[in-house]
Amino acid sequence: MRKVCLALSFLLIGVLALPVLAQDMETPQMGWWDECATPENLPDTVTIGVVFGLSGPISVYGGPQQQAVQLAVDEINESGYLGEGTTLVAMFEDSAGDAEQAIAAMTKLVEEDQVVAVIGPTLSTEAFSADPVAQENGTVVMGVSNTAIGLTDMGDFVFRDSLPESSVIPGTIAQATEVLGLEKVGVLYGNDDDFTLSGYDVFVQALEDNNVAITNEQTFARGDVDFNPQLTALLADEPDALVVSALAAEAVQIITQARDLGYEGPIIGGNGLNSPSVLEQSGDASNGVIVGAAWNIASPDPLSEVWVSNYQAAYDATPDQFATQAYTGAWLMATAIRCGDSADRTAVRDALAAIQDFPTPLGTFSFDEDRNPVHTPVVQIAQNGAFGVLGAEE
Amino acid sequence: MDAVLTPLLDILRPIGITEPVLQFMLVNAILGVSIYLTLHAGMFSLASAGFMAIGAYVGALLTQQSDWPLWAALLGGMAAAGVIAVPIGLPTLRLRDIYLAIATIGFGEVVRVLILNFDDIAASVLTTLQGERVRFRLIEGARGIKGIPTLTETWHLILFLIVLGYLLTRLHRSRFGRAMAAIRQDETVAANMGINVVYVKNMVFILSAVLAGAAGVFSAHLTRIITPAAFGFDKAVDILAFAVLGGTSTWIGPIVGAMVLTAMPEVLRFLKEFRGVFNGLVLLVVIVYLPGGLVNPAGWSRLWQRLGRAQTASPSPSTGVD
Repeated sequence: MRKVCLALSFLLIGVLALPVLAQDMETPQMGWWDECATPENLPDTVTIGVVFGLSGPISVYGGPQQQAVQLAVDEINESGYLGEGTTLVAMFEDSAGDAEQAIAAMTKLVEEDQVVAVIGPTLSTEAFSADPVAQENGTVVMGVSNTAIGLTDMGDFVFRDSLPESSVIPGTIAQATEVLGLEKVGVLYGNDDDFTLSGYDVFVQALEDNNVAITNEQTFARGDVDFNPQLTALLADEPDALVVSALAAEAVQIITQARDLGYEGPIIGGNGLNSPSVLEQSGDASNGVIVGAAWNIASPDPLSEVWVSNYQAAYDATPDQFATQAYTGAWLMATAIRCGDSADRTAVRDALAAIQDFPTPLGTFSFDEDRNPVHTPVVQIAQNGAFGVLGAEE
Repeated sequence: MDAVLTPLLDILRPIGITEPVLQFMLVNAILGVSIYLTLHAGMFSLASAGFMAIGAYVGALLTQQSDWPLWAALLGGMAAAGVIAVPIGLPTLRLRDIYLAIATIGFGEVVRVLILNFDDIAASVLTTLQGERVRFRLIEGARGIKGIPTLTETWHLILFLIVLGYLLTRLHRSRFGRAMAAIRQDETVAANMGINVVYVKNMVFILSAVLAGAAGVFSAHLTRIITPAAFGFDKAVDILAFAVLGGTSTWIGPIVGAMVLTAMPEVLRFLKEFRGVFNGLVLLVVIVYLPGGLVNPAGWSRLWQRLGRAQTASPSPSTGVD
């Protein structure tokens, strides 16, 4: 009887262990980073605050961001990343894309709920309003979709894991100049939006740095549908490429109208063009669109592939860049809590700032001394309705 | 002031009203009074958001670029809004009702678009003047002005509202206040009684602009960043909603309306993303059952009577078909 029992239990252990071993060998996972030991001094629950735009027009971004953070928190708790018996809790608050509500939400989380750290808010304008509240209270706040220039200048508790345009665009222009041999370009940008305007600023600087001449600059406003006058003016100078800083809706019109005018050269865009829907809606016209991005769904990074399939399994939808950055942000925050082995706000800040070479879906991730992210952006070129990596196809 | 404020906040905090929320409630109360003044003189003006933007930008530039103290920037912002109100008011106040509303919405859009393009316009003017390409950055267009010092304190706002309340009670008893009421009742009759209608309407429009400008200065020094998008059509409608919810029979009405509508999304945070629905729902219920707004004793007693009659008329409501 005893022998049978023993044999049975061995069998049981074997059966249970097999899939674990098999999985370990096949797919890499988040949290495999063993730079620091499993923490022992953490309380039973560690609460982090999350401020996203969950209602109103910006819930298009905030909704997937919330799902991504929740998925990360579930994975962190299932894998026991913060040690036995410690649960990570994410407390979500809605900012509705509004500066006043972002301040209120941040104040509630930091001063009333006494959270350890905060992820968010969704928009840069909200961050400029609300992040000082966290800074004044000595609480880490990590933007996961804030790309505006100067964000982390607000204080030593302000972090972000979203590559600012100032990091993505120079790489894009440098690589495009090298591969395509650009000499003169025409620039078209939206001048009534923070995002497109800061993109424009960085484009101008990057073009200057790479000795590419700007033949002409044209502007448009959000909601415009006819870009023929601007495009005709730009194309009159026969530029080597069109540089476009636009959001998705206008980008589709610009791309198709430029092709209708007979332009066949490359169209280099900012982050607004980095969307599958832009390619889908502009069809064949999108061939030759070049976009730099922090992340792309086609990324060959193994962690990225795991993340995409996990997100698809959980929510039956494909994640976008902002969701990926939110997911990465939650893991970074958990790692800071783990490595600091403390739920103390300052300890978390110090541990977060010290993170180097952490493997994430965005690639190998570090923070620089200004608490901005460091990882390699992808320069993509659209071919037949999908993004490939620029220069790889030749 | 802290002796009053600290216990007050201790009471309000458990229901979700922290100090920043209270501050925005008070700022919006000033905006409520701003639109109340025009409505009380029979003018359906939606210009408050535009004047708020002017106050916010002038105030922020004065404290940030010129290091003025808040009180001086406040006066500057109020004066700027008031001065701009004169050429806007003179032609548009000849319009009435919905036409005035449309014209003032247009004004708000013009302000927003001017802020968006101010730097570009200035740059092209300078380029033409100097003959070489000039880049000009002052009010930053859509990027917004960032890093505005948070100079506004709760007691500033409370003091401002107390003084404002005193002035409003005095105003209503004055000749000017009665002239406003008369114009609201019937402009032609008021003119025949010897009231200078053009003067009174323009004065009220300027006063309303000055108050919106003050709210703009205070708000800019709370939110730390101002962008033109924050002062668009949405803001104009929000301000109108303060007056609709609170009622315009007394000046208390829009103040109560502003405070309720600002506090509600924060108090209802536990409802998550559905909390926004409640602002609309409460507005709808008030418009249907209390057409005069929340602060309107006559409306409440009418509602009370209606409820009483409904009870006596149908003792068993379950059998009622309609």
